[in-house]
This record gives sequence, C-alpha cells and structure tokens, in this order.
Amino acid sequence: MTDPPVALTNVTKFFPTPFRGPPVVAVRDLNLEVAAGQVYGLLGPNGSGKSTTLKIIMGLVTPTRGHVRIFGRDSDRVASREAVGFLPESPYFYKFLTGEETLRFYGKLCGLRGADLKNRVEEMLTLVGLTNAGKRRLAGYSKGMLQRIGLAQALIAEPALLVLDEPTAGVDPAGTREIRDLILALKSRGVTVLLSSHLLGHVQEICDRVGILANGVLVREGPLPKLLDVENQTQFVVEGASADLLHQIEFLAAQSGARVIERGPPRTSLEQLFLEATAKRADE
Amino acid sequence: MNNRAQRLLSLGRLTAVAANTFMGLTRLKIFYVLLLFGLVLIGSSVLMAQMTFQQEFQVLKDVALGAMSLFTSLLAVIATARLVPQEIEDRTAYTVLAKPVSRFEYLAGKLFGVLFLLALSLIAMSALFFLVLVLREQSVLGETARQMRTAPTEQRAEALRLIRASAFNPNLFSGVALIYAKACLLAALTLFISTFATSTIFTMIVMAFVYFIGHLQPIAREYWLQTNGTGWLTKTFLAVVALLFPDLQSFNLTDDLAAGNAIPLEVLLKTLAMGVFYIAFYLALAWAAFFRKEL
Repeated sequence: MTDPPVALTNVTKFFPTPFRGPPVVAVRDLNLEVAAGQVYGLLGPNGSGKSTTLKIIMGLVTPTRGHVRIFGRDSDRVASREAVGFLPESPYFYKFLTGEETLRFYGKLCGLRGADLKNRVEEMLTLVGLTNAGKRRLAGYSKGMLQRIGLAQALIAEPALLVLDEPTAGVDPAGTREIRDLILALKSRGVTVLLSSHLLGHVQEICDRVGILANGVLVREGPLPKLLDVENQTQFVVEGASADLLHQIEFLAAQSGARVIERGPPRTSLEQLFLEATAKRADE
Repeated sequence: MNNRAQRLLSLGRLTAVAANTFMGLTRLKIFYVLLLFGLVLIGSSVLMAQMTFQQEFQVLKDVALGAMSLFTSLLAVIATARLVPQEIEDRTAYTVLAKPVSRFEYLAGKLFGVLFLLALSLIAMSALFFLVLVLREQSVLGETARQMRTAPTEQRAEALRLIRASAFNPNLFSGVALIYAKACLLAALTLFISTFATSTIFTMIVMAFVYFIGHLQPIAREYWLQTNGTGWLTKTFLAVVALLFPDLQSFNLTDDLAAGNAIPLEVLLKTLAMGVFYIAFYLALAWAAFFRKEL
C-alpha cells in the first residue's frame, strides 16, 4: 500500500503567550488524511487553525504534539517537500524579479537546470496566462497576477501534492474561475490538492472531501456528498406535479399518476453546514 | 557525498539563494549611497594633504583605508539586518522554505549573497584607492625627478626610492583582506542576531554595542587577567566573552600599514583564520536559532 500524500496523527499546536499566560491552542488533536488524487478542502472561520495546519504540513511550524507525514516522510524533513508545491496566503514575492526570473529562481531551488528549467518556466507562464507579462517586474503585477505567478511557482517542479492557502484571496470572479479550472485540470492529471478557502461555493464545486475546523478542532470531516446529506429526511424530485401534489407527496403521488423520478435525502448547502458547525463550536 | 548529505547541502540551491540575495541588495538605494560616500571620500582624500609626500601618502592611506573599513562594516550590518525578518514578514521565506531547501542553505545563501556584495563594494573602493595612490605617486615622482635634475644620480635614486616606499606597496592588499574579513564577520554576527531579533532597529542597536565592545574586548581581557588573576571562573567568563564578542581590534592593523609597516604573514593568516572561525561560528549559531523558529 502506498503512503497517502498527507497524514496528520493527533497533531496539536500550542503557541505560548507572554508573561506565562495560558498558551493559545491553534490546533488540537487533529487527525486527517488526504488520499492520492483527491481535492481536499480545509474550511473554517478566521483563527480556526487552517493556516497553522497548512504550515505544519509544510514544515514551517513544528507541532507541539503529533506526527505529520508527507508521502510517508516526516514533514520536518527537507526531502518531504520534494514532491510538494505550496502557495501561502497573500504572499509577497521578490519585486525586483520579473515573472520569468521568479520562476527560474524557484525552479533552481527545486533542482531544475538548463533546458528543462527554461521549458518548464515557459510552460508555467502559459499555464497561468502570464506569457505576455513574463518579462515584467513583479512590482508592476496586479494582485490577481501575483496569485497566478504564486501558483506557477508552486507548480514549477510538477509536484504530486499541491497545498494552497486561500488560493483565490483577492482574486476577481473571473480569476477565481480560472484557478478553479486549473485545480480541476491538475486533479485530472492525478495531482492531489489540499486547499483552504473561505469561498464555500468554490469549495463545493471542486472538492471531493472537506474538513471543517473551528477553534482548532476538526468538527466535521468526510466526502462532500455524504456531509451534505440530511439524515432522517426524504426528498422527492417530482416532475409535472401540481401544487396539491407537492403538499401531499407520499399519499397523493400514487393516486394522482405523477412520476417519482428520484428519492433520496435532501441536501443542505455547504454554506449552511459550515455556519451550523462553526456556530455550535463557538457556543461551547 | 551520499544522497542524504546532498539533500542537506546543495551548492545549486545555495548559489540560487545567494545570487537572488545579491540581486535584491543591489536594488537597495542605501547600497549605492554608501558606496558613493566611500568612493567620494577616497577620491577626495588626495585633496586633504598639502604636506611632505610621506605625510601626504600616509594621510591618503589612512583616510582611504578608514573609509573602506567604515563603509564596508556599515554596509555589512545594514544589508544583513533586514534580510531574514523582512522575508518572514512578507511571507517570501515561506515560498523558499516550502521548497526542498534546508534552513541552513537558506541562511548560508543569504550570508554569501551579502559577502559577495561586500567583496564587490570593496573591490570598487580598492580600485579607486589604488588608482588615486598610483596617480599621486607618479605625479610626486615626476615632480621630484624634475626638481632633482641636477642632483647626483645616487641622491636622486634614493629620493625616488623613498617616495615609492611610502606610496603604493603590496602590503596594502593585506589591509584590504583584513577589512573584508572584519566586514564578513560583522555580517555573520548581524545575521545571527536578526534570526531572533524583534525588529531591524533592535538588530542595529545590538550591533552598535557589539561593535563598541568588540573594539574594547582586548583591553577588558587584559584588565581582567591582570586584576582578577586567572581562576577558572575568570577564565570561563573571559572565554565566553571572547567567543561571543569578536576581538575586532585585531582586524585594525591598517594603521601600521598606512605608516608603511608590513603585517607579518603569520599575524595576517592568524587574524584571517580567526575571522573565518567567527563567521562559521556565528552562522552555526544563526542556524541553531533559526532551525526550529516558528514562521
């Protein structure tokens, strides 16, 4: 059996506070596994521990307790990042570099050289639609362009796992759609994607599985369709039914001759689920 | 080198970080301002002396070597103090350290980028200094030869030899090497402090103190040795002070050089070796402080 791209086991992170105050709990007893080829959405309100979790996965923050493994390797090992691309939230890049130079720099850090590096840089600029801006300095890039060059640097070494912290933050709706399409295209190529986002509609469209964090605790986790099912309720999808028929569904359906097309649990929206889950946690 | 060691330290990644750091530093206005000040001071030193040629050459060398030492040291501290904290604040460090780059490679790359900048600045200042010195030497030689046209050959040759001896001599390269070693040491120490400092201002203030203490360190060491004996406690204390605060005074051999004295090779090599030791020591301390730092 191959190792999963991401596996967190009982991960807890406390941040100390000055003057021996109680430590801030950023993440508590987090168990999470992202399977290969999945698009996994990590959701949660501000301060819920999403970014800290992603930083722990990338080895930028050390967990107080627990283990993190990337493709079976400890996340604090440099080698664990060989197959990973990361885009932090609202990153600044080196403004004195052009788009091309930026990608060349990150490519070199990943061990790319010569023609391979040159080709990969061109490929990435095309992929994120910045071919014409490749020779411009990043100081002149818009927020959306910076986010796209950020995605390009994350993808420069063809990672098997892509970790994105708020990839659509500050991007306009058209840019958001482009990023969504790009993530779906990567998924079709077998790339595993772990992302955090506030755009629930966006997450609902692209994620196979989601986890909802509140106050550092994973309050809901599972495949998206299953999470959105409402238990102990039944949904009828009826075609050509009158208003009366809709009010007396089960009793009248058989007698009126209407056709029942689908029966199953009705679904709430991801947004509703998110708000309920996080509100409950906040009350505790 | 085995596979694991290759992962721990890659020359390619180190060079990429160093080149990028160097490129970033050359875009800073402060670099050009400092370099310009240094060059102007060295260039104008030729106008400062209207004395005998020996005095003139000594003042010229004094001012030029002093300016080179001051501006290179300032540049080392100013250029290094912002590097790491700024990148953490901007989250640029995340994008670099999220690649297969070890924290040691990141820090060493940053330091080498600064050292390369310091080397280029010093080469520019040295080139101007040597040019000014050689031009002035030629001018004085010509003037003296004209004035002593009628003097006996031996007397004229002796006068010209004295001029040559007091102007340019290869020992000045030793002085430049010591200035560079001192600046590199200060850059490494600044890098170490910046890994745990809360602000760039804090780093610079600490460095100002260290600079001051570093120049007084040999005096304090001698005083302690003379007045408090050499008990183990004193020895330990002195060893800690000597290790943490570099003896910057030992790099100030340029006064002797300006006076025309040569630095014995043994002293030069010993001082340079001490510089290399301190650079490696502070880099190791910086790595220890940065290794588990929460970003």
